[in-house]
Amino acid sequence: MTVLTTRASRLDRDARGESRPVPWPGMLWVTWRQHRALLITVAVVCCAAVAGLLAAGLRIHHDYALVRACRPAGSPACQGLSNFFNTTDWHQGAIVHIAVQAAPVLVAMFAGPPVVARELETRTYRYAWTQGIGRVRWTAVKLALLGSLLTILAFAVSQLLTWFFAPFMTTQQLTDLTPTVFDTSGLSYPAWTLVAFCLGAFLGTLLRGTLAGMAATLGVYVGLAAATWFYLRDHYPAKTFWPMQLFEAGWLLALSAALIAGTLWLVRRYAD
Amino acid sequence: MSVLTLPAQPGQDTAPRPLPWRRMTWVTWRQHRALLISIPAVLAAAAVVLVIFGLKAHHDYAALVNCPLNQGQQSSACGKMFSNFNSNVWPLANALSILVQLAPVLIGAFAGAPLLARELENGTYRFAWTQGLVRERQAIAKLALLGVTLAVLAGAFGWLFSWFFQPFLWTEQINQLSEGMFDASGLVFPAFTLVAFMIGAFLGMLFRRVIPALAATLGAYLALRLGAWALHGQYPVTVVTSNAKLINAYETPGTPGFPWILNSWFTGPGGKPLSSAVTSRLQDLPLGGSLPPGVTEWFKYIPLSRYWPMQFMEAGWLLVLAVGIGAGTVWLVRHRAA
Repeated sequence: MTVLTTRASRLDRDARGESRPVPWPGMLWVTWRQHRALLITVAVVCCAAVAGLLAAGLRIHHDYALVRACRPAGSPACQGLSNFFNTTDWHQGAIVHIAVQAAPVLVAMFAGPPVVARELETRTYRYAWTQGIGRVRWTAVKLALLGSLLTILAFAVSQLLTWFFAPFMTTQQLTDLTPTVFDTSGLSYPAWTLVAFCLGAFLGTLLRGTLAGMAATLGVYVGLAAATWFYLRDHYPAKTFWPMQLFEAGWLLALSAALIAGTLWLVRRYAD
Repeated sequence: MSVLTLPAQPGQDTAPRPLPWRRMTWVTWRQHRALLISIPAVLAAAAVVLVIFGLKAHHDYAALVNCPLNQGQQSSACGKMFSNFNSNVWPLANALSILVQLAPVLIGAFAGAPLLARELENGTYRFAWTQGLVRERQAIAKLALLGVTLAVLAGAFGWLFSWFFQPFLWTEQINQLSEGMFDASGLVFPAFTLVAFMIGAFLGMLFRRVIPALAATLGAYLALRLGAWALHGQYPVTVVTSNAKLINAYETPGTPGFPWILNSWFTGPGGKPLSSAVTSRLQDLPLGGSLPPGVTEWFKYIPLSRYWPMQFMEAGWLLVLAVGIGAGTVWLVRHRAA
């Protein structure tokens, strides 16, 4: 257990202490200390994913350039290049695409529920929540730090994936409104990552257990994603890429804010 | 925490007493009731979705098969029905089938990883494992009881899924042997569930922590599935033929789908291999079209009738693997616990 000892002797002052500034360096250190296993794993997986995407992406772009530059277009040699691109390279691209699609909920499932639920399970909340900063702000700052970190990482990964995937957009006749492409590009991907994380934090707190929170996060996220794919997107007011992206990111952000508010409300009202 | 209170009888433990299955069943239920309630509940909810959606899909498919689609007189009503089936019914079915693929690892990870690791994390193992039942026999009983229960549930669910997926075999040109369908039906689906459960229990015992074990189970299972996919076309059930009719015979609506063609190649007069330039020109001809004289097209394929032999082979080695991992878990309980 790790605690922050700024004015540790004071009582919980959620109601009155809100005016004092948040000790960011201290909270940064606490968040790192409590979640370092997760943060190190995420960093390692991210580095491996970026290295893999870059290596595979460079090769795929190289192969695609060969296909496009090949003359005469109908010759057996060109057919061979094109066949290789459409089978071996596309297979690889499709698998990478599915993995990236599953990443937000997988990461969030391990990141979100423990933020509050682990403190409840191991009973460390009795100590952590009686620090000077107050239980609500303690939770809010940790959620903000972890949530923004994951969102920024997701944005970077989605940019890289968009570059990686670009050659297949023409060869597989995809558009940027194809559900799988739309999900993993622009603002939509980081917004889904954030919502998955907030969902995890909320459900972990609600069910008061990490494992139960993880299972519930997975289920609810899949339900939400399916509803969006098969129903909600057909009813958006916009029909082109960027307005739709803004709309989707907007409602996901609003949902994330609501889930964080719900988590904080549960934390505030928590009693044994 | 729940314990089993057999009276300790010092000095009489030389011969192992038979496992008290009924009491172990009670302990297993008591310790894992949240799991044993939630997994059947989730599967039942998913089954309701499959039944409702499956009835609609079967109904639409029956109408589709009765349409004279392949007779060259494609009526616009038939065409509309067909495109509706492909663009509205199939994507949802495809998404459902991807989720069903994930069911074994999710069941295995959430049931297996906490099985022994939670007792180590909470410290309850100190009490539970010093009961009259020797600790490794308690672990055997739990692994067996939960493993069999989960495998039976998965088997029933896989059976339902294969009924649900029947209409899409012909329309999407897949068959019972292709990965998505083969792995989620018959004996292979429960076998994968059992292996995932054993992997979860083993890694939980190895790491002694639930969450890292859960994460590692997901990774290990993914590696196993990729390995199993690589093996998939390698079972000794393949047939080589030059009779294209065997391949084309399935191109009528309502049949269970195409056979699984692994490979095809051409030979020239006298069985000699052809140059790659000639081969690539021949490959552009339609399947079963007339070939130049002396040239033969060969197919290496797996007929649909090999479904059950392949199921037995794959389920067989998965079962051996599950028992092996289970034995490894029990070994860890015996030597590394406490």
